[in-house]
Amino acid sequence: MDKPKILIVDDDPDLRRGLNLRLRASHFETAYAADGFSAIAMAQKERPDLIILDIGLPAGDGFVVLDRLQQSATLASIPVIVLTARDPQYNRERTLKAGACAFLQKPADNNELMDVIRTTLNPVWPGTAAAALPGH
Amino acid sequence: MNNGHAHILLIEDNPGDADLVRLRLVEADSNIAVSCATRLSAGLASLVAETPTMVLLDLNLPDSHGAETYRRVLEAAAGVPIVVLSGMDDEEIAVNAVHEGVQDYLVKGSFDSRQLARAMRYAIERQALLTSLDMSRRQQLQFKNEFLSHVSHELRTPLTCIHQFVSLILDGLAGKVVPEQREHLETVFRSVIQLRAMITDLLEATRAESGKISIQPHCVLIGEVIRQAVAMLQSTARAKAVGLEAAVDIRIPFVYADSNRILQVLANLLENAIKFTRTDGSVMIKAYLTESDPDFVHISVADTGRGISPEAKALIFERLYQDPNSVDDSRKGLGLGLYIAKELVRLHGGRIWVESQLSHGSTFTFALPLFSLAKFIAPVITQKGRLREHLSLITLELTPLPSFAATLKEVRQHCLQLLEPCILGDKDAILPALDHLGPVETVMIVISADAHGATIVERRIREQLERSDRLRANCTFKLSSVGLKLPAADRPEPVDKLIQEVADGITAMTVAALQRTQPPSN
Repeated sequence: MDKPKILIVDDDPDLRRGLNLRLRASHFETAYAADGFSAIAMAQKERPDLIILDIGLPAGDGFVVLDRLQQSATLASIPVIVLTARDPQYNRERTLKAGACAFLQKPADNNELMDVIRTTLNPVWPGTAAAALPGH
Repeated sequence: MNNGHAHILLIEDNPGDADLVRLRLVEADSNIAVSCATRLSAGLASLVAETPTMVLLDLNLPDSHGAETYRRVLEAAAGVPIVVLSGMDDEEIAVNAVHEGVQDYLVKGSFDSRQLARAMRYAIERQALLTSLDMSRRQQLQFKNEFLSHVSHELRTPLTCIHQFVSLILDGLAGKVVPEQREHLETVFRSVIQLRAMITDLLEATRAESGKISIQPHCVLIGEVIRQAVAMLQSTARAKAVGLEAAVDIRIPFVYADSNRILQVLANLLENAIKFTRTDGSVMIKAYLTESDPDFVHISVADTGRGISPEAKALIFERLYQDPNSVDDSRKGLGLGLYIAKELVRLHGGRIWVESQLSHGSTFTFALPLFSLAKFIAPVITQKGRLREHLSLITLELTPLPSFAATLKEVRQHCLQLLEPCILGDKDAILPALDHLGPVETVMIVISADAHGATIVERRIREQLERSDRLRANCTFKLSSVGLKLPAADRPEPVDKLIQEVADGITAMTVAALQRTQPPSN
């Protein structure tokens, strides 16, 4: 089977590179974008299985990207994990409402991130979803 | 008076006194507009309609007397200077008024226009000063909060980078790591995790200070929260060879709390306890009920550590407090953890305290309010002081679909709106949300009907839910109803005891439902 493809959207080049290495080591194919505008363009071109999205971005922040994805007939079904340094108290509900599947704050535990990626790519309902438990 | 047009609101019921004050005002400054109210109610209405430059206030009015008069004006006119006009006999009240925020007072019949003008000028100046002080204090606080929030956000980006690359090396993704390198990198990694916790605390303490922490209480099984907290900290305890055990009284009913926040409090207390306990010591966490405090559950974390001095005990829940005698080799934190814990417990309507003896360990205990189902359902399950003849329980289980595009909370909210027209406010009650441990949301409704009546309500609910596209797009649902076994009508016990019995029965069924829908714990 093909490797699942993940689109990384982050404006910080080091963070993109680090996450890219981590995901490739975990046998994912990756693509990346550094701003909101190219995030949509890359999503259209690459048709990823999953998008990992930062919120603070130039040329359309994460909320704009979520909104555009939701409006697009072809991209709305791609699951999005928000990974941001921003305060969960004000952003978690807002991003989930805007269409994201999960919200993680940076720096996120690697195990937790991988768990969330796996459950997002292979949702198992109900009862056995390995929702990210604290302490993993 | 001032450069613009001053508008004075005079609240005075005696026409003679009012005319005299008016005269003195015009003598003092011709560029003054005076409006007069003869009752407090009229004065308050006028204050709301248009803010005057200041208020001259008689304390004894037809609809209000003494201290109550100025208190109500102070409340209605924050920031508007007030000068009280007192009689000879109520000067003492006038002095108190000044203590409570009125700017000045004048004794009727003993002031001339010059004294009146002076009192008014100072009143206005002082009030302006106070207002600007208050505003700058607020601005500073807001600036500090924004600054801390900004800083903690900006610090996270480089920290994420360190976290990311150190873990890449540690995981062997950048080549082989020799044992000594691994040891050093693990030290770096621990510090990164510590720094991350500090940044989180910094933001949390700022929020606590500015009242921006919100809690969302549910009916929570405290034993479950304790289990999670122990699971979170078990490896830390094991690494230090500190025993970590929990004992929870199984008779504890639901606690009304925000489980995430309580987990946060528990994790903090456990972390501290482990940190200050030597190898081979132990940490014990207990949840129990006490007769002296029947509406609360007490949760205690006891360690066999070095204890806390009486001086430290008095200060330990204060912000930025750090034990100056700390000789532990583990690093100090920011001194915010217990402050945050205290604030979180306080928001729940509970309290936290510590008992300790130097070198004999410490016990931190906090009390959380129990949820009283009996009190909650009493109005609907009784009629004219007696238990109703028939009661049933309807259970609705919502299971999210894979395409689930909302939070469980939203689904519940939407569901409650749909249920509203199906039930009767004085005869039926929707029980508060259970803290969902698994991916199923449960809504329980107590209805005043027999089993047959219950099936009719159940059908009504089913039809109503099936009509909602939004619900159908997000969830599947399962409905069931069951008649409640009630105590025999001829039993002589007081009705409170019977209500409690019914409530206990419902609680037992709720716990059973919760355990059924919860994923198996490992």
